[in-house]
Amino acid sequence: MRGSPKASSPERLRRAVPVVLLAASLVVLTVSTRSLAGLPERVGVTVFGFFQKGFSAVGDFVSDTIASIAELKRLRKDYDELTEKLEAYTNMERGNAELREENERLKAQLGFSERLSYERVPARIVAKDPENLYATIVIDKGVAEGVRKNMPVIAFQDGVEGLVGRVLEVGMGSSIVVPVYDSSSYVAARLAASRYEGLAKGQGSADSPLVMKYVKKRAKDEAQFGDLVVTTGYESIYPPDVTLGRVKKLRILDYQTSVEIEVEPALDFSRLEYVLVVRPSAPAPAADGEAPAPGGLPAQGAKP
Amino acid sequence: MIRTIVLSSLLLLLCSFVQSTWLGAVAVLGVVPDLGLLVLIWVSYKNGLVEGPVSGFVAGLAEDAVSAAPLGFNAFVKTLVAASAGLLHGTFYIDRIVLPFVLGAVGTLLKALAAALLALLFGSKVQAYDLLDRALWIEAAYNGLVAPFLFLLLSAFRRLLVTESKRE
Repeated sequence: MRGSPKASSPERLRRAVPVVLLAASLVVLTVSTRSLAGLPERVGVTVFGFFQKGFSAVGDFVSDTIASIAELKRLRKDYDELTEKLEAYTNMERGNAELREENERLKAQLGFSERLSYERVPARIVAKDPENLYATIVIDKGVAEGVRKNMPVIAFQDGVEGLVGRVLEVGMGSSIVVPVYDSSSYVAARLAASRYEGLAKGQGSADSPLVMKYVKKRAKDEAQFGDLVVTTGYESIYPPDVTLGRVKKLRILDYQTSVEIEVEPALDFSRLEYVLVVRPSAPAPAADGEAPAPGGLPAQGAKP
Repeated sequence: MIRTIVLSSLLLLLCSFVQSTWLGAVAVLGVVPDLGLLVLIWVSYKNGLVEGPVSGFVAGLAEDAVSAAPLGFNAFVKTLVAASAGLLHGTFYIDRIVLPFVLGAVGTLLKALAAALLALLFGSKVQAYDLLDRALWIEAAYNGLVAPFLFLLLSAFRRLLVTESKRE
C-alpha cells in the first residue's frame, strides 16, 4: 500500500475523507432509524419515481415490441380458452345470484352490515428496489392519485385476489410498496376454513413461503395442505378476508405451545405487473352512529 | 477531481435506475447484478480515497431515498466499499478477467459485511444478508462474472471517470 508512516497534510486530509463520510452516514442512519427523516425520502421517491417511470416505459416499449408477435399467438389461445370458461361461468352465475341473495338475507338476519367500502386505485409496477437485500416495489401512483402511507395493496392473478403488501412511502406520482414476503412484513392472518389465527411473516424472498406463527397447537388436527389463509382485518392496515395464500406445510415443535404454518403466497410476485391500492372510501353511516372499526369489521365488543 | 466526482455520482445513479427497472429481465433466481457497486469499485480503485468514497456517499444517500433501507444505510455501505477499494489504489495491475472477478465478488461480500455491521448497531431497523441464504452467493458470483465486462467498458471512459493526475 502507498504512503509513508508520516504522511503529508494533503495526504492526511485525503485519508480523512472516507472516515468523515462514514461518520456522516452513521449520523444520518441514527436519525433516520428514529423516523425523523421522512421528508428526504418523500422527495427522493418523487424525483426517483419520475426517472424510474421513464426508464420503465422505455424498457417496456422495447420488450413489448419484441414480444408482440408471441403475444398475439398466446392471446388467440387465451381467447379460445376464455370463451370456453365464459360459457361455464355464465352457468355458474345463475347459481351464484341465488347464493348471493341468500347470503345477504342471512347477513341481515345476523345484524352485520358492510359499513366501510373500498375504492381501488390501479397501478403499474415500474421498478423494484435497486438493492437485492430489500424487496420493495415501486408503483406509478402516488399522492396525486390519493395513495397514502400504509394503504393495503392487492392484485388479481389467474382469477385469484391476493394480498401484495402495503404502501411504505409515497411521492407525488409514485409510491414504494413493501410486499408481504419482505422480512419486515407482518400480517394478521387466519385459516379460512378452521378460523385459527396467527401472524404471517415474510422471509425476504418471493420464492420463500410466508411463515404463519402463533397458531394454536390444536389447529394441527384441522389444518390441511392447501387450506386457504386470509387476512383477519384486525389491524388498521389490511381489510379482512383477502387471500394471503395456501397452507404448504405444518411445523409442529413439541416444546412450543403453538404451531408454525408455511404458507405458499397466492400470487406469483415474479409475474406481477399491475396492482390495486385499496383506499377506504367515505364510510357509510352506521345505524348506531358508531365510527367504523379498522378493517371494516365491527369493533370488538360492539353490539351487532 | 470535482468533475470525476460529479460524473461518477451520475453514473452510479444511472446504474441504480437500470438495476431497479431493466435488470429484472436478467435476474438469476430473483437476484440482479449490482452494477453500481462494480462501477464504484472501479472508480475507487482508479482514483483513491476521495473521488470513490464521495461518489459512493452521494449515490448511496440517493439510493436510500428510493429504497426500503433507512436513510444512511447505502451511504455507509457504499462509502465503506469505496474506501476499501480506494486503499488498494495503484497497488497492482488490473488484468482483464481474474482481478475484476475477485474485486466484484469480494466487494459484494464486503457490502454484506458492512450491512451486517449496521444490523448489529441498529438492530431490526436494518436488514442484513443471511450467510446461509443463496441470494448473497448468487449476487457475489453474478457481480464477479459481470465485473470483467463492465471494467473493460469503463476503461473506455477513463478520461471522464479518472482524475487527470491519476491516469496511468
